Amino acid sequence: MTKVFNSVVCTICGCLCDDLEVTVENNEIVKMKNGCAVCEAKMVHGYKSEERILKPHVRKDGKLVPVTMDEAIHKAAQILTDAKYPLLFGWTSSASETQHVGVELAEELGSALDNCCSVCHGPSVMATQEIGIPTATLGQIRHRADLIVYWACNPWSSHPRHVERYTAFTDGRFEKSEFKDYVQKLKAKSGQKKVAAAIRRTRVRYQPPPRPQTALVEAPPQTLAKDGRRMVVFDVMKTMTAEVADYFVQVEPNRDYEIFGALRCLVNDQELDVDTVGGVPVDYLKEIADVMVNAEFGAIFFGLGLTQSVGRFRNVELAIALTRDLNRKTKFVVSPMRGHFNVTGANTVFAWQTGYPFALDFSQGYPQYNPGEFTAIDLLRRGDNDATLVISADPGAHFPKGAMQNMVKHPLITINPDWNAISRLGDVVFPTQWCGIEQGGTAYRMDSVAITLKKVVEAPKGVPSDEEIVKRILEEVKVIKANKAEKEDTGKQVLQETAAPKKRGSKTLKKEL
Amino acid sequence: MITLTPKRTFTVPIQAACINVDVFTGKTLQEIKNLSITEGKETITLNDAFDITEDKTIETPNITLTGDFSKVKRIGQGMKTGEIVINGDAGMHTGEKLSGGKIVVNGNSGGWTGSEMKKGLIEIHGNSGDYTASPYRGTSTGMRGGLIIVDGDVGTDVGCYMQGGLIKINGSAGRYLGFHMLDGTIYVGKDCSIRAGACMTGGKIIINGAVELLMPTFTIDSVKPKVKIDATQIAQGPFYVFLGDIAEHGTGKIFALKATNPTLSNYEKYL
Amino acid sequence: MTEVLIKNGFVFDPLNNIDGQKMDIAIKDGKIVKKVSNERNAKVIDASGLTVMAGGVDIHSHIAGSEVNLGRLIRPDDHVKDVVKKTALTRGGTGYSIPSTYVTGYRYSKMGYTTVMNPSMAAMKARHAHEELNDVPMIDKASFTLLGDWWFALENIAKGDLEECARHIAWMIRATRSYAIKVVNPGGLESWGFGRNVHSIDDEVPNFCITPRDIITGMAKVNTMLNMPHTVHLHTNNLGVPGNYKTTIDTMNALESVYTGDKPIGHITHIQFSSFAGDNWAHFKSGAEEIAKYLNAHNHLTVDIGQVTFADTTTMTADGPFEFALYELGGHNKWVNSDVETESSGGIIPFHFKRKNAVNAIQWSIGLELSLLIKDPWKWFMTTDHPNGGPFFHYPRVFAWLYSSKAREATLKNCNKKAQKKSLLPSIDREYTLYELAIITRAGTAKALGLKNKGHLGIGADADVSIYNINPETTDIAKSYKPVRKAFGNAAYTIKDGEIVVKDAEIVATPSGRTMWLDVQTKEPCRIDDKIKSKFKDYWTIEFDNYPVTDHYLKVPEKIAIKASV
Repeated sequence: MTKVFNSVVCTICGCLCDDLEVTVENNEIVKMKNGCAVCEAKMVHGYKSEERILKPHVRKDGKLVPVTMDEAIHKAAQILTDAKYPLLFGWTSSASETQHVGVELAEELGSALDNCCSVCHGPSVMATQEIGIPTATLGQIRHRADLIVYWACNPWSSHPRHVERYTAFTDGRFEKSEFKDYVQKLKAKSGQKKVAAAIRRTRVRYQPPPRPQTALVEAPPQTLAKDGRRMVVFDVMKTMTAEVADYFVQVEPNRDYEIFGALRCLVNDQELDVDTVGGVPVDYLKEIADVMVNAEFGAIFFGLGLTQSVGRFRNVELAIALTRDLNRKTKFVVSPMRGHFNVTGANTVFAWQTGYPFALDFSQGYPQYNPGEFTAIDLLRRGDNDATLVISADPGAHFPKGAMQNMVKHPLITINPDWNAISRLGDVVFPTQWCGIEQGGTAYRMDSVAITLKKVVEAPKGVPSDEEIVKRILEEVKVIKANKAEKEDTGKQVLQETAAPKKRGSKTLKKEL
Repeated sequence: MITLTPKRTFTVPIQAACINVDVFTGKTLQEIKNLSITEGKETITLNDAFDITEDKTIETPNITLTGDFSKVKRIGQGMKTGEIVINGDAGMHTGEKLSGGKIVVNGNSGGWTGSEMKKGLIEIHGNSGDYTASPYRGTSTGMRGGLIIVDGDVGTDVGCYMQGGLIKINGSAGRYLGFHMLDGTIYVGKDCSIRAGACMTGGKIIINGAVELLMPTFTIDSVKPKVKIDATQIAQGPFYVFLGDIAEHGTGKIFALKATNPTLSNYEKYL
Repeated sequence: MTEVLIKNGFVFDPLNNIDGQKMDIAIKDGKIVKKVSNERNAKVIDASGLTVMAGGVDIHSHIAGSEVNLGRLIRPDDHVKDVVKKTALTRGGTGYSIPSTYVTGYRYSKMGYTTVMNPSMAAMKARHAHEELNDVPMIDKASFTLLGDWWFALENIAKGDLEECARHIAWMIRATRSYAIKVVNPGGLESWGFGRNVHSIDDEVPNFCITPRDIITGMAKVNTMLNMPHTVHLHTNNLGVPGNYKTTIDTMNALESVYTGDKPIGHITHIQFSSFAGDNWAHFKSGAEEIAKYLNAHNHLTVDIGQVTFADTTTMTADGPFEFALYELGGHNKWVNSDVETESSGGIIPFHFKRKNAVNAIQWSIGLELSLLIKDPWKWFMTTDHPNGGPFFHYPRVFAWLYSSKAREATLKNCNKKAQKKSLLPSIDREYTLYELAIITRAGTAKALGLKNKGHLGIGADADVSIYNINPETTDIAKSYKPVRKAFGNAAYTIKDGEIVVKDAEIVATPSGRTMWLDVQTKEPCRIDDKIKSKFKDYWTIEFDNYPVTDHYLKVPEKIAIKASV
């Protein structure tokens, strides 16, 4: 039986493209239209992984053995209630409905709660808390932006449809697509014979002579003076996106902050005492500053190159400060290129329930927030927690060694669809459905627009959604806590009954427990 | 004097804002033992975690902590008077919002030591962590007064949004020293990492060692033979004096020792 | 369901002309009934010596949605001051100026409020707003969709095709599960797309060939065509600019031109921010007298105040250009701007209203001057435009300033000297009665919103009741304003749909509360052909199929069907 689903949402990156056309045959996705290569890799092939977890497992005598769901739930709840300070980490590849229950579970346990944003765009959120953020939904940029700046990110590879759907290659009400220009550019590059003529015709940047080692930047190309949308890329190396751009500025690694500072001065018409900043001559930066000020509507997108290099949230802070300064001259917006498809959702859901977006702690009965203190890696490296639950994330493949060593010292519960690095290390391993393929829900796009995910195929039999698993663990935790409280009560009663010989009383209590 | 010694090695963090002279004053030893703290999510008494003894013959320090307190957070938080001596490492938020009195750490101190401090003295005879004397997330009022002395090195983001007082670091300093500083003084005995004084609008940073890289948003003002640290101390130069952060229209000053900073000599042409 | 009998309370029910009479209120199955079937089986509340009113109805309070949550997210410094512990029954959370969702519900309920309007929802982000509202327990709620700068509406108004505009808006109200039309700085938000603004109601909106006047009158007409229960909810142009009272009067005159004479045609929200006189900030003055004079002479409008309460709060509005102008005044560390494609914009700035600041103190005075100079309490309602003027749990403070000139004096004494001199307050001796307070906080708001079953205690009304520890017989509320203020902040009982949810200011039950939305049925359905669909695709970055909010997003939906005349 063949079924075609329209307007299906892709669950890869923060773009959340929602125009996929998915063909399902015999409960299997066989074809997909409109998606990028990354999307196709997951939604047509990847989710059918042979490494799929189909049953809950519990580690017994060092080996993972299949058990019933009830046993696994009880075991997980027992681990979490027994621990003095558990950590619940992950959440960003789950629907916001699951994240919602997650906060309640953390609150019930008095645990630490963190999501993957602490290892990707958490610094962007922290910068926002310091200085605010002038931003816009992606459509606003599509309709109006005549200058697109990609800073320390490579959407061509990481968010493949970003340029096509939201920025330079899309038609907006007030700005037209630059796609044709790009195709001409490509043709010009491939057609060996007509290179020179084509370059003249399309005014594409000529191939420059090899750069001297001191200055990392080429002369500004003529395309910067063209009409229509312009694209500028700042990065430490020439990425695919940089190839497409009208202007590429190669920045020395870890020197973005200095360049932002310099650009801010130049935008405010101030002179600098230096000739080069971060490997870029100040004269080139002046030209970029002019281009920025003269734009009708500019948009800066930044990626992990800012948030995870030296300076982290301070880098983003200055990117925002630059945007803010530019708003005094023209209209400018700035936006992080969020990675996992629902990392924005995790921030959003956590924030409305607790006031804080990530790096949470409930040990005091109320939410506390402090990145550096309650973020997963910092917590694990100090060895602060004594049990971990990982859901829809794979720290096993991404966390530093020291953090992982401390994590596996204590019991570990995992909720993931397939046998990835972290599942193999787990003490209790749950199977779960692929969110956005086998299960619906809500996800938040990088500009925090909520979109409904679609269920297109049935999950393997007996594999529940992660929302259901977390809910059941929560129920079980409540039951265990209630039983414990009851026992303590009876214990106290015993204590009171035998109040006279106090010592015997406490012995009875111990036996009871 | 009350002495606290850990009964065991702690794994999960302990929040103990009650280890505070203001709280202990007027309480009997038994009452102090029954003060509640949290270990992870569990609420326990001070006595569950520490051996507590009292020596009535000694007046100061009022509280002595002996042993490893690196997992104990918020020691002396918001303290107004009295003295705490920690013979060992202290945890995060030690002396946070201190508004008087004295805290001495004979060891290293964790992050956010002396955060949002108003008055008083914190002496750290080891290293101090990131965000020493810096405010909580999203807050733009930092240290307002008082004195912090660190014998060793400090981490990153020290003295952010500082509005007054003095931070004296005898070792070297990490990135973003005096970020967004408004007033007050920071002295660094040894080297200073990148982006010192970024976004500062006032106050001064004195660097007696090498500056790794000066922000391009600073402009040279003059060369001065010496500079005042506080009423009693003067640092001998000559120093390059830089003004900034001009991106914030700031008038903060960075004093960088001429002898240790030959790379800054190319600024001399603008003098 | 259990029955409840509230005995011997002093009842204030202005919609039924009950002014403090001692009487019983009977409740059955979540509704007010004539009497309980059997007093023995009913839960009896002895309300003797207590004041009984219908549950409070807030007409304008930003409690949920994308904008609100972004405000929450940027203010850890605000939350850390006000933390709320989890209990066996209630969830934990944080305050202060933008409390987390659960805390919002609990705090409203503790004040005896049972219905709250969430007045600013960008259509594209409606799904988020509803997800968040589901987590606000204890109260009924509804949202107003921002439609004043929606391209479809602007184009249809420019074409002069109001009927088509009405059909599109009906579709949008359904698609976003909304309750009313919100218009914010009409034309200004579209201009802000390129960093500009409009400065009078006759400035042209760039690229659209229409003026704010066209939008205001057009939307008012559309609202009438659709038979909406509430009027157009309007945030004026030039809000927050000295001298803007003139624009406000122009706006009110423009609305009068489409007034048909039966019921009000428009609601001007947080009018305090639109009643500024003086040419610049240095000569900042109150324009309250002029505005109040106009409102006293005309019947086509209702307003709410947006009272300033002197708090370290967070301002947030869809009026992006206003927030930027506010930011440019200096002294702020954070600025958020959040444009929404084809629809709207938004801005957030943390703001500390200080007594000693001349402008802030004058603003405080303007709010109260308006409240006291507008004669008819059915024309204006009490709000702080939470969190813009101050957080909603400061309402009791505002009540005190209204019912007690002594309370006003006490605050004015601590205000900026210049502001004290300029204030009209010492010359006004009006003091609100409990009856009038009931109008401006529940009866009037419910009437203006067209909520037939709310805001009163007549038979058939929703059993939303609040009981306060105030004895009107023995207490002179104007003199002993402090205990009364405390009583308003700590309800003796709050009853929601017949269930006791608050007792002695403690939460005792946590029901979910309903989300009301309008199913506007036009005679002809909105034409959605391929051409329109492709227009949707051009205008938005999400697919047409994925745009509407489904019932899945409303935990307890309450659909209100209305028949439109187009």
